Amino acid sequence: MNGNLILLVPVFLPVIAGLLLAFPKIFPDRKTRWWFVSAVCAAELIMVFCAAGGGYELTLARFNDRLAFVFRPDKLSMLFGGLAAFMWLWASIFSEKYFHGGDERVYQCFFLASIGVIVALCFSGNLVTMYMFYELMTLFMLPLVVWERTKEAIHAGYSFFFYSIAGAFLGLSGFFIFYSCGISLEFVAGGHITAEMARDNGGLLLLACLLGIVGFGSKAGMFPLHGWLPVAHPVAPAPASALLSGNVTKMGVLFIMRIIYYIAGVDFVRGTYVQYTFIVLTLLTILMGSVIASREQLLKRRLAYSTVSQVSYVLFGLALMNPAAMLGALFHVVFHSVAKNTLFLSAGAIIHQTGITRADGLKGIGKRMPKTIAMFTVVSLTLVGIPPTSAFLSKWYLAEGALVSGIPAVSYLGPAILLISAIFTAAYLLPISVSGFLPGINEGEQVIYHREKEYKSMLLPMAVLSVAAVYFGIFPNGLMHFVDAIIQSVF
Amino acid sequence: MTGNIWLAVLWLLPFIGALPLLFFSGKKAGYACGRMAVFTAAAEFLLSLILAVNTFFNGGSTCAISGVMGFGLTFSMEGFNAVYLVILSFMWMTAVFFSPEYMRGHENLRRYYLFTLLTLGATAGVFLSADLITLFLFFEIMSFTSYVWVAQEETRGALRAAGTYLSVAVLGGMVMLMGMFLLYHLTGTLSIAELRAACAAVKERGVLFAAGLMMLVGFGAKAGMFPLHIWLPKAHPVAPAPASALLSGVLTKAGILGIILLCGSVLFGEERFGFLVLVLGVITMFLGAVLGVFSVDLKRTFACSSVSQVGFILTGLGALNLLPEKMLAIDGAFLHMVNHSLIKLVLFLLAGIVYKNLHSLDFNEIRGFGKGKPFFFAAYVSAALAIGGMPLFSGYISKTLLHEAIVESAHMYGGGTHTLLVAAEWIFLVSGGMTVAYMLKVFFVLFVDSPAAKHTHVRESENYVSNPVKCLLAVPAVLFAVFGMLPGITMQKIAGWAEPFFNGGAFLEGKDAVHYFSLGNLKGALISIVIGVFLYFVFVRRFLCEKEEGGMYYKNCIPVWLDLEDGIYRPLCCYLLPLLFEVPCRLADGLVSEKFFARILPFMLAVPCRILDKFVGGMVYVVNRTVFRQVREKEHVVMGDRLAYYAGSAADCISRIYRRVSKKGEKEGRSYVERFRDGEEKLSRTVRLVTRSVSYGLLLSCIGLLMTMLYLLME
Repeated sequence: MNGNLILLVPVFLPVIAGLLLAFPKIFPDRKTRWWFVSAVCAAELIMVFCAAGGGYELTLARFNDRLAFVFRPDKLSMLFGGLAAFMWLWASIFSEKYFHGGDERVYQCFFLASIGVIVALCFSGNLVTMYMFYELMTLFMLPLVVWERTKEAIHAGYSFFFYSIAGAFLGLSGFFIFYSCGISLEFVAGGHITAEMARDNGGLLLLACLLGIVGFGSKAGMFPLHGWLPVAHPVAPAPASALLSGNVTKMGVLFIMRIIYYIAGVDFVRGTYVQYTFIVLTLLTILMGSVIASREQLLKRRLAYSTVSQVSYVLFGLALMNPAAMLGALFHVVFHSVAKNTLFLSAGAIIHQTGITRADGLKGIGKRMPKTIAMFTVVSLTLVGIPPTSAFLSKWYLAEGALVSGIPAVSYLGPAILLISAIFTAAYLLPISVSGFLPGINEGEQVIYHREKEYKSMLLPMAVLSVAAVYFGIFPNGLMHFVDAIIQSVF
Repeated sequence: MTGNIWLAVLWLLPFIGALPLLFFSGKKAGYACGRMAVFTAAAEFLLSLILAVNTFFNGGSTCAISGVMGFGLTFSMEGFNAVYLVILSFMWMTAVFFSPEYMRGHENLRRYYLFTLLTLGATAGVFLSADLITLFLFFEIMSFTSYVWVAQEETRGALRAAGTYLSVAVLGGMVMLMGMFLLYHLTGTLSIAELRAACAAVKERGVLFAAGLMMLVGFGAKAGMFPLHIWLPKAHPVAPAPASALLSGVLTKAGILGIILLCGSVLFGEERFGFLVLVLGVITMFLGAVLGVFSVDLKRTFACSSVSQVGFILTGLGALNLLPEKMLAIDGAFLHMVNHSLIKLVLFLLAGIVYKNLHSLDFNEIRGFGKGKPFFFAAYVSAALAIGGMPLFSGYISKTLLHEAIVESAHMYGGGTHTLLVAAEWIFLVSGGMTVAYMLKVFFVLFVDSPAAKHTHVRESENYVSNPVKCLLAVPAVLFAVFGMLPGITMQKIAGWAEPFFNGGAFLEGKDAVHYFSLGNLKGALISIVIGVFLYFVFVRRFLCEKEEGGMYYKNCIPVWLDLEDGIYRPLCCYLLPLLFEVPCRLADGLVSEKFFARILPFMLAVPCRILDKFVGGMVYVVNRTVFRQVREKEHVVMGDRLAYYAGSAADCISRIYRRVSKKGEKEGRSYVERFRDGEEKLSRTVRLVTRSVSYGLLLSCIGLLMTMLYLLME
């Protein structure tokens, strides 16, 4: 093991803290325990930035000259890891009131362990390390999905596990091809594949890329392996489904980015059938997700399909392989994560307070929980892409990227599908706010909606995130500089 | 932030003024919010007046806030913006002044005032914006905040209308955004000042045209252009009257603003686009006017009138791209915008006064309300004469210019186009006539018809409206006459300030003065008025009214099914399109689903595996069944019962299969061959017995007799 050991801190701190919580003697009081969880998440957030910002490198173990476990965080790691740690913090604050009874310790234990694994996944410096932590992430998130232990939850757990493993194996077979063709598995911005390698093994390498895209697209909810999302999200506890939807799906995105931009190289993939297949799959997913979401009545399943659609916006941006589209994609990583976490948290608050799970049962909910639904509305508008909220910008850059890509059909069809999908997004999100705040006066009888208690610790995370959703829309420059640096490095 | 900071203050002020409203609560909240709103709107009016005066003396100013939204926001104040800001802030102030008395006793006042102020800020932003992104930003905010106005009353009709409004706004906004993407992609700029030059340089005219069309959809939806006008006649009647005045007077003009940019800058000189806008404008004005004549609801009449007047303005904008003398079209369109804004302010507030006192807008219930109310009478008549295009009133001036623009463009072209434009001219005159007709209809309802017996009116009471509102309403009412009588020094000047905006930023050179009161121009107005009076007395009074005791009864003659929204848009958007999208999406979704992995894939894999598994065993089985088959003993077949034998064998076979499939009844029953043979024998024996019997003979002879009798009867 050589290199800077500070990189181990954000990885092992939460894992060890999670293990500690597994002992029933430690922190018997549930409130203290939740404080501990939040504190660890906050420390994690700081540590991620400290560790990733320094340009450190750490080799955990080396098997031969090409295979090793390496942490080498770059700016991309910081973006994804920092985002995850940030969301984990707010989800932990939200969770304190959300859980009442049940086996909380198991949840807390794996909740903490999983952020460690996710940060490790982001920090990974080569495909082998990343693959290992990817599988670990699936394993550590599984208890969060099946936490309810109902029949549906267990079924959903199987589904979550199976899709992930199936996708990972597809990806893994791609790695074997890379390895056997003599491509280095280290992440280097711009990729490794030279014209010479492309001439020798072009077909095989393209196949490897495609396998990687489709396989890890499973985590990102891309057609055809998106099926776990609508099954797993409705049964998982709300904070867990928020994180699944907002952050775990992004790990699939990160993996695909690493394969295309850091292993294969943009110039190798651009203009090949792999790129076109990727674009077609993402556009199909975008449309499919939002259309089905608009027809689903179960709120959390609706949001799950929304995730299917929105994460594919990101993938669409990656598939276009030009700077403008990539700016849109990386923006959308952040904005979607912020918005979708808020949506799931507010769905959780609604379920916790009223027990309503269906969207058509939410009439008048705005009179009962005004603050929650106000935030729900703000992030809904964000997700639709109404200026000045943030997702308007990401969609703008995605559309611009599609227009300048010059790929026949896609350059006009892409923006059109983005907009049709945005209309469907409006159709599945806005009616909830509208009928929530304006239930209407029926002739004769007037229903008095009683105010529910809205807990501050539940409102705070939603408030912070919805403010962030608007803030980034109005003042995106800081984020834009950060993201620009990433884009400059890969093109 | 660079440039004139006050421009930013101008649109920020209402947003800031709206903040305290969030913290008002308790019983007096509605009152306090009203005060705050009045104060903010008055401050906004003063500020915009000062800025406008500054613009006229010191020239235009701009303001840029860089970094916001990545693009930066830019604002500019030139003649057009200045005139419109003064108008809109005046209208807002009047509407907000009127609101407390109109909304007395209503629920959710805080929400109403909050969103009124937010919409003011957004609308000011729209009219100040100097680039399309800024325009789009404020346009969207305006759409969403004004949604709350329409839904304010929360009745079923209001919510339905609000739903329509929101859907049209979202759809229009998205399509418009798509157009802006394309435009930005083609030109690389969205600054309004640079747009005309940038667009003129674009080689791909087809794509530019497509971009223009998409933006036309977005802006046209807000303006109330056919076929996207559907929200307008629904939303205005259900919104509170002050809000309807603003919706109709200002918000539709925000859509027009966008269409001005399209005609004057983006697609400047594109004749096809000019024709398109002109034709849509003609349809809009005719349709709106027809609906207005048939309407029996005060606010709905005015709403339809809004649709119609927007059509007039669009006609002018279309002519802008057809004419070499652009002055006619530009002045006509702009002055008609100004006129229509102010006229609708007066009319909708008058409708608000009616509603406030009678809680109804139905013609049959508000009959005779205006009797004995001189102020009400004067305000209505002034507005009605203005909108009807009566000489010496302001509407005459703008309509004359628009009419001239169409006539001139008709001279420009020959052949079919000429005929089309002449037809457009006549539709223009007839629509003007219908305007007169529905204003006459409302006049007779309010001032001539005797009140319905069951309603006691607030007749002589002085406080049917408060004095500040009277004063504010008197301003536009007087202005109509002043403008109409002295067009040269009033309206012509105002139009001159606004011209550069319509013309892509360029001033017009060498324009001729128009002789408004020449015989030729008066003729057009008189034709319209004669048509209108004729229509009212011959058509409306005869076919749309019925005499009943104590007055006229106004019939609602528009059939319910003749509704574009219910007939086409709702089924299309709510059922057909989602279904069309949903089916393939569900298929794609289910293709690789749980079921696929759990059932279909195992099955597909299992079939070949089973085949392989059973391959050798199957061969043995086949051999067993064919070559090494156990030979059965041939059964004895009797000649007479061959049928029973075959049927029985078949039945035996079926029963064997059935038993095997259902896995019940291991032991075989009696063979069907035997059963059938027994049955057949029994049957033949019986037949033999019967034919030999006496009664059979008797029966046959009876049938014979019967037949003979029947034959005889038939003969």
